[in-house]
Amino acid sequence: MPSLRPDQLKELYRLMAFTRRVDQEAVALQRQGELTAFPPLTGQEAAQVGSAYALQRQDFAFPSYREMGVAIVRGVDLVEYLRAYRGDWNGGLYDLYAHNFGPIASSVGSHALHAVGWAMGAALDGGGKAAIVYFGEGATSEGDVHEAMNFAGIFRAPVVFFVQNNQWAISVPVARQTAAPIHRKAEAYGFPGLRIDGNDVLAVHAATAEALERARAGGGPTLIEALTYRLGAHSTADDPTRYRQAAEVEPWRAQDPLLRLAAQIDDEDFTRQVVEEVEERVRDLRTRLLSAPRAEPEEMFEFVYAEPPATLAAQREELRQWHS
Amino acid sequence: MAQLTLVQALNEALRHELREDPRTLVFGEDVGRLGGVFRVTDGLQEEFGERRVFDTPLAESAIVGSAIGLALAGWRPVCEIQFDGFSYPALDQVITNLAKYRGRTRGRAALPVTIRIPSGGGIGGPEHHGESPETYYAHTAGLKVVAPSGPAEGYQLLRAAIRDPDPVIFLEPKSRYWTKEEVDAAAAGRLGQARIVREGTHATLIAWGAMTARCLQAAEAAAEDGVELEVVDCRSLVPLDVDTLSASVRKTGRAVVVHEAPLTAGFGAEISARLMETIFRDLKAPVLRVTGYDIPYPAAAVEAAYLPDLDRILTAVQKVLDY
Amino acid sequence: MTEFVFRLPDLAEGLEDAEIVEWRVKEGDRVELNQLLGEVQTSKAAVEIPSPRRGLVKTLHALPGDLVRVGEPLVTFEVEDSQPGVVGRVPQEAKPARRVHLRIRRD
Ligand SMILES: Cc1ncc(C[n+]2csc(CCOP(=O)(O)OP(=O)(O)O)c2C)c(N)n1
Repeated sequence: MPSLRPDQLKELYRLMAFTRRVDQEAVALQRQGELTAFPPLTGQEAAQVGSAYALQRQDFAFPSYREMGVAIVRGVDLVEYLRAYRGDWNGGLYDLYAHNFGPIASSVGSHALHAVGWAMGAALDGGGKAAIVYFGEGATSEGDVHEAMNFAGIFRAPVVFFVQNNQWAISVPVARQTAAPIHRKAEAYGFPGLRIDGNDVLAVHAATAEALERARAGGGPTLIEALTYRLGAHSTADDPTRYRQAAEVEPWRAQDPLLRLAAQIDDEDFTRQVVEEVEERVRDLRTRLLSAPRAEPEEMFEFVYAEPPATLAAQREELRQWHS
Repeated sequence: MAQLTLVQALNEALRHELREDPRTLVFGEDVGRLGGVFRVTDGLQEEFGERRVFDTPLAESAIVGSAIGLALAGWRPVCEIQFDGFSYPALDQVITNLAKYRGRTRGRAALPVTIRIPSGGGIGGPEHHGESPETYYAHTAGLKVVAPSGPAEGYQLLRAAIRDPDPVIFLEPKSRYWTKEEVDAAAAGRLGQARIVREGTHATLIAWGAMTARCLQAAEAAAEDGVELEVVDCRSLVPLDVDTLSASVRKTGRAVVVHEAPLTAGFGAEISARLMETIFRDLKAPVLRVTGYDIPYPAAAVEAAYLPDLDRILTAVQKVLDY
Repeated sequence: MTEFVFRLPDLAEGLEDAEIVEWRVKEGDRVELNQLLGEVQTSKAAVEIPSPRRGLVKTLHALPGDLVRVGEPLVTFEVEDSQPGVVGRVPQEAKPARRVHLRIRRD
């Protein structure tokens, strides 16, 4: 794997700094009543940005609900992303095919199978593409994730299972999810599994790039367990002091992926400039989000069927009578 | 007698049963240290220890499947599925095994499993956090389906559900979790009995769970217009107390069923059919339904337009009055 | 309404106490979850304390300059019994509006 050039390191830093800042802004927007809920990702920027940066256009990413950093790298418009968290439209408003980035998936684990199926389809189409699916260590307990990995092994599907082991599934620590290391599960499904430092963006990028390349070339799936930490709450309504000690969080703060990359780049002028750039972009995002149209009740009838049955049209008419 | 929220009432019911029967177990995702995402199990792990109140891995099918095994070993599991929309990964265990074990073992194995599921919408939740899955369960023979409407009902019905020898799906109305009411901690309830929550003469509103309160509001509004509506809380969908429902509708001659779940094949259809079969000649109008629309539960910003509201309920009432 | 006593958490491995540097809230203030309550100085670092609850600040148990031991009360809040869980919000129980009025046909 060729190592990243200095300008690429800087690009990664920009993406991560932007991700962090939007994350904070989203939490603030929720506190101000502009979003209904938001699951913050602060602490996981290297895992998300570093892995997504290894994707090529033709690859497809299947996110859970916490992958805003991946959305950013895939070029998803954040207003269309965040409107899901304003309660305007479940799944998000962006076009999944425009960015090869799936809808926000909040039923834990079930989307792993979709990534496997997509990868099987890509292989049937002649290869050269890979899927990546993101989920947490908690999700590895779900039957669907086991079934997904087993399918992937059997069909040698070009898929990367990217687990962000952020140590907590709401209030349940990783030790309650599995009695064996997550990365070692891959062995039982017949493909490589590795554990990486998920707060080291270069390590994340290198490992993911290699796994994706192997997949595109027909070498089958890989499981990557990125060790990281959810520095914030599970979601804006959650109160982590109920289940974890502040003392546990502190050492992870010292492993802040942004600080680590900044130290590597070692260019204070640059990092200062990024802060300004990012502020500007976040201001713009806030303005665009606040002026984005609000969901109209009648829209809930859209996209249920290609051709709505007559009974549904009548119900839509009834709703229109009350809300127009 | 104490003023309790539904969350506190359910917590008290669990505490009571854990105290009375040392073989009662409480488990699920985040129910231990956190006390549940809605705090229904708050403090139970502290009081009863980690052997009897415990967090499981994130796996709904395993929660229900292992509850079946625990019940076979003589334990009395009360498990929590975190939200309605996440009860589906466990549906196979529920339908294929939980509901059929008694029959398959010719009555030798009873499964006194209670599955608590926070259900319904109205709290601005994200996707999969506002659904009303009662019909899937009611359609599955071998399960009892219970849906309390408030704190007093919640307390009594949960205790009865836990003591019941059959598996019970216990649907807790999320939007009512924080409502306060007098709860009589001595009274244990019985499953399978509906309750007249308001008497009236012109028509009967039939509901369960969160819609019971909505129907009471509608009845108050109707009273301002001089119309007296009777409101019946089904409390239990399976078994369904057809006698109480039909007695009420025989008296008023008119009925409107209200539920959050979509219209098509919703439980309102079952109630409507039962009324038609039992008191056809006493009906002065067709039984109408006011329900969620036939769409996936919508996003938070527009959920209020999906849920039955007073205008929709009163419009249906007007129709049955005018028929 | 119930009271919730927020005790000084163990902010760093083995911490025994911390000095209050400043409060950013005063008694009687309404605070949101995670809103900054103030800053404390430990033997290792200055640490900002976000509010663990949403509610009313009833008592600040120490003044700037005071030393508080881990586990001692820092802030007492008055919180509503109704705290939303991990998602969603507590619905308002206002009397719902209506437009439809009923007419009884008398014939
Ligand atoms: C099938 C399912 N069950 C339960 C939930 C409720 N829930 C949402 S997130 C979560 C924890 C997920 O933990 P993990 O997979 O480690 O991801 P993280 O949230 O840490 O990113 C739970 C239990 C859900 N969304 N889906």
